[in-house]
Amino acid sequence: MSSPGEYGCGGTRPSVTPFIGITGYQWLLILAAVQAALLMPDAFVGHYRSGFTLRAQYVPFVTGTLLVLSAIAAAVVPHTPVVTRIAVIAGSLALASGVVGAGYHHWYGIATKPGGYHWLLHHLMHHAPPLAPLALSTAGALEILAVLGISGTAEIWGTSIRVLALTVVGIALVGAAMQAGLLHYRGAYNNAAMYFPVVVLPLAAAGVFWNAGASHNATVHVIASSLLWIAFAGGFFGAGMHLRGMDRQMGGLYMGVAAILDAPPAGAPLLIAALSASGLIAMELL
Amino acid sequence: MTRRTSKSARALLRGPIVLSAPLHPIFVHFTIALTAASFALDLVGRVLGQSANGPSTGPAALWALGAAVIVTVGTLVTGVLSRMRAPVGNGPAHSYLRVHMALGPLFFGLLLVAFTWRCGLYNSVSVVPWSYLVLVAAVCAIMTVQGYLGGELVYRFGTAVEGRYRALPIEHPGPRPCRPLVSMVAVEPDRA
Repeated sequence: MSSPGEYGCGGTRPSVTPFIGITGYQWLLILAAVQAALLMPDAFVGHYRSGFTLRAQYVPFVTGTLLVLSAIAAAVVPHTPVVTRIAVIAGSLALASGVVGAGYHHWYGIATKPGGYHWLLHHLMHHAPPLAPLALSTAGALEILAVLGISGTAEIWGTSIRVLALTVVGIALVGAAMQAGLLHYRGAYNNAAMYFPVVVLPLAAAGVFWNAGASHNATVHVIASSLLWIAFAGGFFGAGMHLRGMDRQMGGLYMGVAAILDAPPAGAPLLIAALSASGLIAMELL
Repeated sequence: MTRRTSKSARALLRGPIVLSAPLHPIFVHFTIALTAASFALDLVGRVLGQSANGPSTGPAALWALGAAVIVTVGTLVTGVLSRMRAPVGNGPAHSYLRVHMALGPLFFGLLLVAFTWRCGLYNSVSVVPWSYLVLVAAVCAIMTVQGYLGGELVYRFGTAVEGRYRALPIEHPGPRPCRPLVSMVAVEPDRA
């Protein structure tokens, strides 16, 4: 991975730099697959808790699995037209199902609940997480951008793939901060570490947007990448704290499914780590 | 019928080989050895003034760290599985366990950061920077704390061990009274 100084003012950025023999677009595909793989267990726990009352609750597992398989295939054989076409379709399906899922979460989690919008905060905290499905959309968008990049597309609507990928990551980090803020509020911020995502993620998102707008500024690059590295490590720290939270339930993890159902989502902080890694890949390798 | 099906499903999940020993303490040693070896090799390389991709210590340190990353995935998974099988009630043992569980993924995350950084240094002809060594030293420090907590859980509290081991054949000079079993909840020696 190149050091930030190499891209100093006026420097030219290589189009696709490989890292451990894997190009940036391939890394983006791998990370999109990781994100989808991480969000599916959490979605399953949430939907299982609500009893799979709607058939639509199975959709994220179908589109998510398609995304994982197609993204890995596209990363392994990146220049095969059939594979890239399937990857674009799978990415589009994931993108669409995430948006539709957010609508479902809003409708069934808030609008049709007793009290409706008058009990907004209560419903936001205790029912379907409003922004969670958009994580699937993020993975889908990153997959599409990576496949377009592999296919040789440099720009979409006059904007480079790199800037678009950074924008997607930045928006997703803001959404993750909002969702974490809401759920940690439900948890009454009972531990100081619960402030971590609501403080670091918006800063990291700001750094990402700043870098997207000023890609040749070495200082901006160092600040943004440092924040993303902190968010990356913080994601793993959060995973440990969520595991600890699971173990704080009555009987702890020894109770198995019962502890997992009532505990903080295990994969959510790792999803933030994967998002941060996507941002770093977009900044350093694209 | 249902009972038989669930039994066979459980046997299928368990796999063809049933290991009686807990796997977590087996994996842990590889994580500790490989991470510490990588740190030591890079430190020696730095002291001797060898480049990051130098003739001997550099590649060895990189490969050791890479192997540590792979093995640590197994360490984490087996750790969670061990916890799911260990009935630990509220008390000091549970407090140790909770901290141990919280630090595990953080250690892995920092190990990934260090590995990514070290891979970036692979083509570098200069020596490994001190800042990198400080990061790996911090990773090793967390690993030491983890090792201490894990050791306490096994040797002091008997987690996943108590009542599951075969006693060593020891010759006693004469009849001696049976020592009462120490519960994992009542853990402190002075209370026992």
